[in-house]
Amino acid sequence: MEDLDDLFATARSTAMQPSDALMARVLADAAAEQVRPVAKAVAPVRLGFWAGLAALFGGGGVLAGVGSAALAGLVLGFVQPVGLMNLTDVLAGTTVDTLELMPGVDALLAEE
Amino acid sequence: MPRDTLAELADEALVVLYANGDPDAARLLAKRLLPRVMGYAGRLLSDRAEAEDVAQEAMLRLWRVAPDWRPGEAKVSTWVYRVVSNLCTDRLRARQRRRAEALDDVAEPEDGKASVVAGMIEADRMAALDAALATLPERQREAVVLRHIEGLANPEIAEILQIGVEAVESLTARGKRALAAALSGQRAALGYEEAE
Repeated sequence: MEDLDDLFATARSTAMQPSDALMARVLADAAAEQVRPVAKAVAPVRLGFWAGLAALFGGGGVLAGVGSAALAGLVLGFVQPVGLMNLTDVLAGTTVDTLELMPGVDALLAEE
Repeated sequence: MPRDTLAELADEALVVLYANGDPDAARLLAKRLLPRVMGYAGRLLSDRAEAEDVAQEAMLRLWRVAPDWRPGEAKVSTWVYRVVSNLCTDRLRARQRRRAEALDDVAEPEDGKASVVAGMIEADRMAALDAALATLPERQREAVVLRHIEGLANPEIAEILQIGVEAVESLTARGKRALAAALSGQRAALGYEEAE
């Protein structure tokens, strides 16, 4: 058995050592398997037309709000509720029959 | 984390650091574990190329399990030794199957021993030891190598082989006796007769 212990001691001192190439392969594996927070950054997502439009206005919620306001304006313009007309009369001081939004250039020249 | 601080950390902490993306942790772990893994696989397989494959595979499995590593469950070295044991067992069984399938190509072990007798150098003694180890049942061989060559304690071997401590004691005792018997026929090859 003493011979055997002697052999074991020699075996310990002559164990196979990893080559530099093996060490390099193991470290390459480690680098490939390692999860890096930076490397896991989310790739930019390509948006569809409607999603892109919503994003342009600051999100779907904002776009819905803007759309609702535009629709409400159109309805008020067409329907012209009595209550609203009374309010505009008070604010304008008089009944406005016609409103020239784009006065003619001739009229501007005539005033000078 | 600075290297000096890393060097003082236990393997387990390095695995956690590796999982958290520390670039130096893997290098230190490989530096600590790879020589042991390689030595163990080399002794079980007696083939450098196969031992390197097993060592690389075992380390790869460690890198992959790192994010799910549960601290306190097992020592990292114990876990890696267990993986190496299993990988070597698979390879040795595949080797046996190949030999059984190609009976014509079976190398006569006695011829190898004859060449060992011719020389008394250290490499031959190791070849004789490897040949004798190869005659042991796989569990005995693993237990003997872990106990007497890797120098591990019985409780750790029990954990690696997933058996009881008493079973390890029995395996190593029987393995050592069988090894002595296998070697007794080639004492000349080991250079002991000349010394006497």
